[in-house]
Amino acid sequence: MSRIHIEEWPPYTPSEQAKKDNVLLAAKLMTNAALTAPFTGGVGGIEAEIAYGQKELEYIAREMERLANHEVPERLKKPFLYEAVMVRESDVVVFIGNYRAHSTPMDAACGLCGGEQDCSFVYNKVKHLNGIIDTTDRQRTTAIKGPLCTLRAHDVGYAVGSALWIASTLFVDAKPCYSVGLAGRNLDFCMKSEVVVGILVGAMAKNPYADIPTDYHLTNMAKQIDAVRKISIITRQMANHPYHRFDPSKPKGSKDKKKKED
Amino acid sequence: MAIYSGEEATQEHLLEVTKGCAVAAAKAPTLTNSLGLRMEIVTGEDLNPIIDVLETFGQTSTFQMHDAVAFKSMAEKGVLPPILLMGADLCNPVLWDCGACGFPTCGEYIKFVSRNKGIGIGAYGPSCVWKVIDFGMAADYACAAAAMHRVEARIMFSIGAVSMFLGHLEGASFVLGLPVGPVGLNNWFDRESWVNAFNYQQRTMGQLAGGPNLSMAFSGGGYPIIKTKPNWWENPTFMKVEQDEEFLQKDAEGKAKVFEKIMKYRGVLPEDE
Repeated sequence: MSRIHIEEWPPYTPSEQAKKDNVLLAAKLMTNAALTAPFTGGVGGIEAEIAYGQKELEYIAREMERLANHEVPERLKKPFLYEAVMVRESDVVVFIGNYRAHSTPMDAACGLCGGEQDCSFVYNKVKHLNGIIDTTDRQRTTAIKGPLCTLRAHDVGYAVGSALWIASTLFVDAKPCYSVGLAGRNLDFCMKSEVVVGILVGAMAKNPYADIPTDYHLTNMAKQIDAVRKISIITRQMANHPYHRFDPSKPKGSKDKKKKED
Repeated sequence: MAIYSGEEATQEHLLEVTKGCAVAAAKAPTLTNSLGLRMEIVTGEDLNPIIDVLETFGQTSTFQMHDAVAFKSMAEKGVLPPILLMGADLCNPVLWDCGACGFPTCGEYIKFVSRNKGIGIGAYGPSCVWKVIDFGMAADYACAAAAMHRVEARIMFSIGAVSMFLGHLEGASFVLGLPVGPVGLNNWFDRESWVNAFNYQQRTMGQLAGGPNLSMAFSGGGYPIIKTKPNWWENPTFMKVEQDEEFLQKDAEGKAKVFEKIMKYRGVLPEDE
């Protein structure tokens, strides 16, 4: 007979790891849903990749913290730092990218990219040979190398939407993030795509992606637990006593006094 | 106690499902937390101008005709589904300076858009890519809600664009339409209403234009025969790339006709007697 004990706390214990394995299954189903979402013209162009395991998630969180401190505009600094905390609290991260948006436009003159009656807005700004885009120069001067075929980028929304719908149906918490997608793409997740969305996936009693207090990168639960470990070790040394023969909760000499009275 | 006609009850129920789709779209997660989704449900005769303009568009564009013919056929059968219109102003950037739109900063983008906002065949631009992705999520949630109700639905650029041109969801830069229904199986795939739209030869030539390699004979000679008939080697056919002034003229005239019609519906031009 085998037993699988499942509990959401403490993290990375066997019981919690069993829960993580379940969430991984949900994440895999999310990627399938992403691939079957409705797309422009029914044309596929979505890739997905899953990050799983303490170290993989830590790399992503660190890249987000690097972006927060050195690359993104000031207004994004705290959101990126907060979402890095959420990555560490997640069980799985799902990345979804569209590999056509920067390389094989829809060429339908829709107007989304530049408000033109043709696709000139994109083609005038990218390197191409008679409309065949050369993507081999991957050097960037902005976080995303634009412009993109915006109609293809729109497809990412459907893929992410369907993945999130499955997460919601399976009652696992999920949150799509620009920060996670950007960090993941920089680390070569969904490496065929220029535009990537990262979805945090987790199963906890309390949704780890909502109700975020101020300065969360410094005040989150991991920090609080670490503070308990740090302080209680000092505190116990200050309040030490020879516990075999002395209980400070009893008045000093109370036992002897009682004996004399008897 | 009452007995309901299955056809009528299910047709009526589609409106309730459409409302459910709208609720789902509004509940869709976002990346920007600032999509500003707007919605409208259009039903029955109020769809007529939309279908009429779509059909005029279709005179020079097959995908628009494909949808127009389907809607017309549904209208004739009395099974026109309610249409959920979803729209948002996607020309309002999220201020992340990400560069995905092609401008180095959102400030540069705003400067450009304030002077050069324009329109393509169905949407305004340039757009903020992240808003566009959020809008996709909302549309996807509406589609998924219809699917969960086991209702046929198909998200449409064509019907959304025409609705936007006719003044629905004023202020939106991109509008999509989701017909929720009709009741039945595969109304939007392998369309019955499309049976007489093209003959066999026209369909074959359409496929050839979309994928000529499939019909290409030995290319080593430098001028390959394109196989267009059973005995393709007899009186062979070749592909020629050329400008088509006739089509360009037809296309321009078609667009002019469409916008004249839109102006009439919007009351800018007087309606025909």
